[in-house]
Amino acid sequence: MTSVFGGLATDSYDRHYSDSDLVRRIWAYVQPYKVRLATVVISLILLSLISAAFPVLIAQGIDHIAAGGGQAVLIRLIAIIMTIGVAVWVLNYIRFRGFNTLIGDVVLEMRSNAFEAAVFHDLAFYDEHISGKIISRVTSDTHEFGQTMRLVGDILNQMAVMFVLLFVLFRIEWRLACLQLVLSPLLFYLVKGWRKIARRVTRQGARAMANVNSAIQEAITGISVAKNFRQEGSIYGEFSAVNAESYRINFRRGLVLSTVFPVLHGLVGIGVALMLYAGGRAAGIGLISAGAWYLFVSTVDRFWFPVMQLAAFWSQFQSGLAAAERVFALIDAEPMVFQTANSGSTLMPGDITFEKVDFHYNKNEQVLNDFNLQILAGQSVALVGHTGAGKSSLVKLLARFYEFQSGTIYIGGRDVRTFDLQEYRRQIGIVSQSPFLFSGSLADNIRYACPGATDSDILEVAHSIGDGEWLHALPEGIQTDVGERGSRLSLGQRQLVALNRVLLQDPILFLLDEATASVDPFTESQIQEALDLIVKNRTSILIAHRLSTVRSADLIIVMRQGEIIERGNHRELMESSGHYADLYDTYFRHQSLEYIESIGIG
Amino acid sequence: MTFSEFTVKGQVVTDKSSALSWLLSHSRRHIWSVIGLIIPSFANAALAAWVPILIGAAFDVFVRSQPKPNYEHLLWATTMVVITQIGRAVGILMRNISAEIIGQRMERDTREELYVSLIGKSMTFHDMYAVGDVMARATNDVREINLMFNPGLNLVVGSASFLIMPALFAFYIHVELTIVPLAFLVLYVIALWQYLAELRPISERVRRTFGDLNAHLVEVIDGVETVKGAAQEEAETKRFLERARDYRDAFVNQGFVEARFLPLLLMGLANAFGFWHAVTLFRSGVISFGNVVAFMGLLSLFGFPVFTSLFSYSQVALGLAGARRILELITGETKLDENIEGHDSTVKGYVSFENVSFGYTSEGNVLKNISFSASPGQTIALVGQTGSGKSTLVKLINRIYDVQNGSVIVDGIDVRDWNLSSLRKQISIIEQDLFLFSRTIGENIAFGFPGANQVQIETAARAAQAHDFIMDFQNGYKTTIGERGAKLSGGQRQRLALARAFLTNPSILILDDSTSAIDSATEDQIQSAIREASKGRTTFLITHRLSQIRWADLIVVLKQGEVTDVGDHDYLMENSLAYKRIFSHYIGEQDLPERGN
Repeated sequence: MTSVFGGLATDSYDRHYSDSDLVRRIWAYVQPYKVRLATVVISLILLSLISAAFPVLIAQGIDHIAAGGGQAVLIRLIAIIMTIGVAVWVLNYIRFRGFNTLIGDVVLEMRSNAFEAAVFHDLAFYDEHISGKIISRVTSDTHEFGQTMRLVGDILNQMAVMFVLLFVLFRIEWRLACLQLVLSPLLFYLVKGWRKIARRVTRQGARAMANVNSAIQEAITGISVAKNFRQEGSIYGEFSAVNAESYRINFRRGLVLSTVFPVLHGLVGIGVALMLYAGGRAAGIGLISAGAWYLFVSTVDRFWFPVMQLAAFWSQFQSGLAAAERVFALIDAEPMVFQTANSGSTLMPGDITFEKVDFHYNKNEQVLNDFNLQILAGQSVALVGHTGAGKSSLVKLLARFYEFQSGTIYIGGRDVRTFDLQEYRRQIGIVSQSPFLFSGSLADNIRYACPGATDSDILEVAHSIGDGEWLHALPEGIQTDVGERGSRLSLGQRQLVALNRVLLQDPILFLLDEATASVDPFTESQIQEALDLIVKNRTSILIAHRLSTVRSADLIIVMRQGEIIERGNHRELMESSGHYADLYDTYFRHQSLEYIESIGIG
Repeated sequence: MTFSEFTVKGQVVTDKSSALSWLLSHSRRHIWSVIGLIIPSFANAALAAWVPILIGAAFDVFVRSQPKPNYEHLLWATTMVVITQIGRAVGILMRNISAEIIGQRMERDTREELYVSLIGKSMTFHDMYAVGDVMARATNDVREINLMFNPGLNLVVGSASFLIMPALFAFYIHVELTIVPLAFLVLYVIALWQYLAELRPISERVRRTFGDLNAHLVEVIDGVETVKGAAQEEAETKRFLERARDYRDAFVNQGFVEARFLPLLLMGLANAFGFWHAVTLFRSGVISFGNVVAFMGLLSLFGFPVFTSLFSYSQVALGLAGARRILELITGETKLDENIEGHDSTVKGYVSFENVSFGYTSEGNVLKNISFSASPGQTIALVGQTGSGKSTLVKLINRIYDVQNGSVIVDGIDVRDWNLSSLRKQISIIEQDLFLFSRTIGENIAFGFPGANQVQIETAARAAQAHDFIMDFQNGYKTTIGERGAKLSGGQRQRLALARAFLTNPSILILDDSTSAIDSATEDQIQSAIREASKGRTTFLITHRLSQIRWADLIVVLKQGEVTDVGDHDYLMENSLAYKRIFSHYIGEQDLPERGN
């Protein structure tokens, strides 16, 4: 099944589920609530029976009074009608409440499964798939599936009432009943055709809206530039044009959408007239009673609403199933990082050895080829090289974010594939180029890898850097709310938080992808201090962008196209005038004091 | 009187005292459409109510003329039904079109009003609201106003007329028959009112819990590398489950309330009591057989309001809430105005701060007692940690913000006494957050100087060291910036912004420079562009570049909103501990050998 609306393009992990598989999967979610489902179904059946009985009883009443029948029968009839009025409401209450709760539970279960699957997928999965689409599978698609369940419930209810009534009408006079249905196909195809046109104009309207939105977005984000240059008038002109255009297009869309209900009402009116006349003729020759005539006339509009719903139903139903399919595909996507064993024993400090490692992200681009490297325990190693040299791949392989294709990586003599992945990662401290902070307090972010740490532990760590002076710039110290993605902190402060996180975690291995963005000189010096502190006590692998970081490393490894071409310290490598000296000239020269001193004189 | 930094001629004046009167003052302009909505609505309901009367009459004639039925009358009644129904279709169409006209025009006009008011607001105002928040109001909330009219009010008026008609037509049959429809009307209004009141907090909770769920999800997925790095997948799953369960509870609760929808019960009872009443009247000979049939048909008209009311009322409520949020933006205070009578002359470039204090909110000053002065042509470097107030300080010079205490003086005249246009046009700020419009590169450079010709643009681009990389693009200066156009690095964006400044040739240049060059060659270009730009004008640099700080004429060191030291490099190396610390990482570097030979 594929989505009719095509709203979401398919992803490579999408798979086709046969209808029976899909039904089985969905049933597995509903199955724990069998009893509730049964209650809902029973109340639905009863509801449709008595809903259909209502006009029939009125018709009987009419026949009865037309024949001048007695009081007792009438009173009984009225009592029944009254009971039905109440029963409809009660049964509807049971049905609606039960079904709604069922939907809530099924969606909850589906959603949790989808989230758990998503968060455990490895990073290769996230590289390949846009995160917005993954998110929409967890929330929107599950929601859409729930809506579809509700839709199915409502449709079944309406159809049941319709069929019961139809049964009664056929029993009374089959030719009139056929006439009653004559308009249905016309209505059905009318609605179907109209939906097609409506979809097209809606798409045009949405496009015009998008232009307006981007004009507004640009004005709001660029407001200060416009103000600086006093160019408010120019951006206003731009907006005014797209706003008028959107009005024109959306108005046209509105006109198209306005037509369907009047036309349907007109048709139903003709249906009523048809029944009035034909019923009257039938009653005239004694084929049906006056009450039956009334029944035929008064039930015309009970047929057109379900038919209209039904015309729109199929595509909505399909898109609901497609949504479920997308959720299942997310849950079922195969993991790529495999642990061969789940040994409980934890990582111990030791040498790191890459032995004949082959690695690529996709088959066309080999990143590491027969790669060998040994890093001694406690050593700090700076990786330098152009973009694409394989520096960050090396680090990501150590973090087990990606699976390598062949060879082995040993830590302290043990294959990395034999550790328990969660335990293993707890012993590794990672700081990426642009550290990610979660909304919440600074303290919560520092303790992210060690949820049990107390505030005083955090204060101690924070004060180990420059006597905690960096905290003074924050309004509420470690309780400061960092904002969404840490937006209330500067880039430098975010790096400091990430480094503090590692200091608190106290890992055996430290992996750093140094930031390239510039940081104010005061914060910069504190970052340096924090780095020194972390590197001092543990094996560290640093993808270095700062001259000071490179110079302070025990060993510099120069990489090019997945290979190590030079190694040594700063002084040795500069003296040998090789690739490192070129890299220095390209990336590090402007960070030297000599450059700083020379620039102003020119 | 509200102030504004920008106004449009011929703008419609609206009543902003409340959301309702604001909407009314807008809709007053579409009065014919409002009439076109209301009259057809009632005509439609009247025609709909006429049908049961016609049917009832047909039954009466039929019963009376038995055993030789009067088919002529039946044909007449049938024709009348067809005519009234076609009349109804026309009525509904008119109603829909009128509602559509009002809705769409309201959307267009309110958006226009909001937009003009937004660009006229001061930056103090814009800082108060997040971009996303303003966006949501200018797009979703404005749309809600449209939907409030169509289908919202369209259906409210439509269903209101269906609530009234049965009673009116029942009166036409017999005065006593109005009892049940009127009782229903009253009880329905009460029940609906109570239902909506009960539903409101619950749907609010549904929305909120869903928002929380989504926010957490987005955050975790965005930060998934961090989650994995810290091995927190299980903890996050637990956190997600808590939120998903909160949402589920709210959702289920909403179902409880929705299931208890009382108007449905009222309708069932109205039918039963109505039938009882009609039959009783018939048996006592007050009304005819056909009247009973007609009356039952009239009662079935209540189905429309009962089933559409929910949807239409919540649509109206959403629209009102949206209008309230939009009005909050429009009426939001803005303190600066254009000051057209103010001082207007060429800026020479003297800038002095005298005891300046400033805060974004009334509590807590970002800047405290700032005093220093700069002469024309000088380069002033502002240094300090993030949050020390550097960026705020420079925005006081061209009155993006106004001081709270003390004064900022340009050429001996308080900035508040300058004509706003004159002042801003002669002062260029290149912000940290470099913003380029999605126009061509050439148009972006000429943004502050719309009449510029190609030669002028290129000269400016060359001076800013931008010409070469612009020519590297396939379409050169005609390359469009933005999602489908060129993607620029931070350094490139900065040089385009500098080119903008070259073209407007300001007397005072303010450069908030936080871009970093990844390689030394780019760094060379940026340095030279900035050096060129600072020539012949007073230049304020907020910079992380040690070389620029090192060679500035004046260095102002800020710490938590206060000036701690002022002087040149040599002076500060002697006298400022904080300043010395910046350079400490470089001490001892000189003895390292450069590239071997």
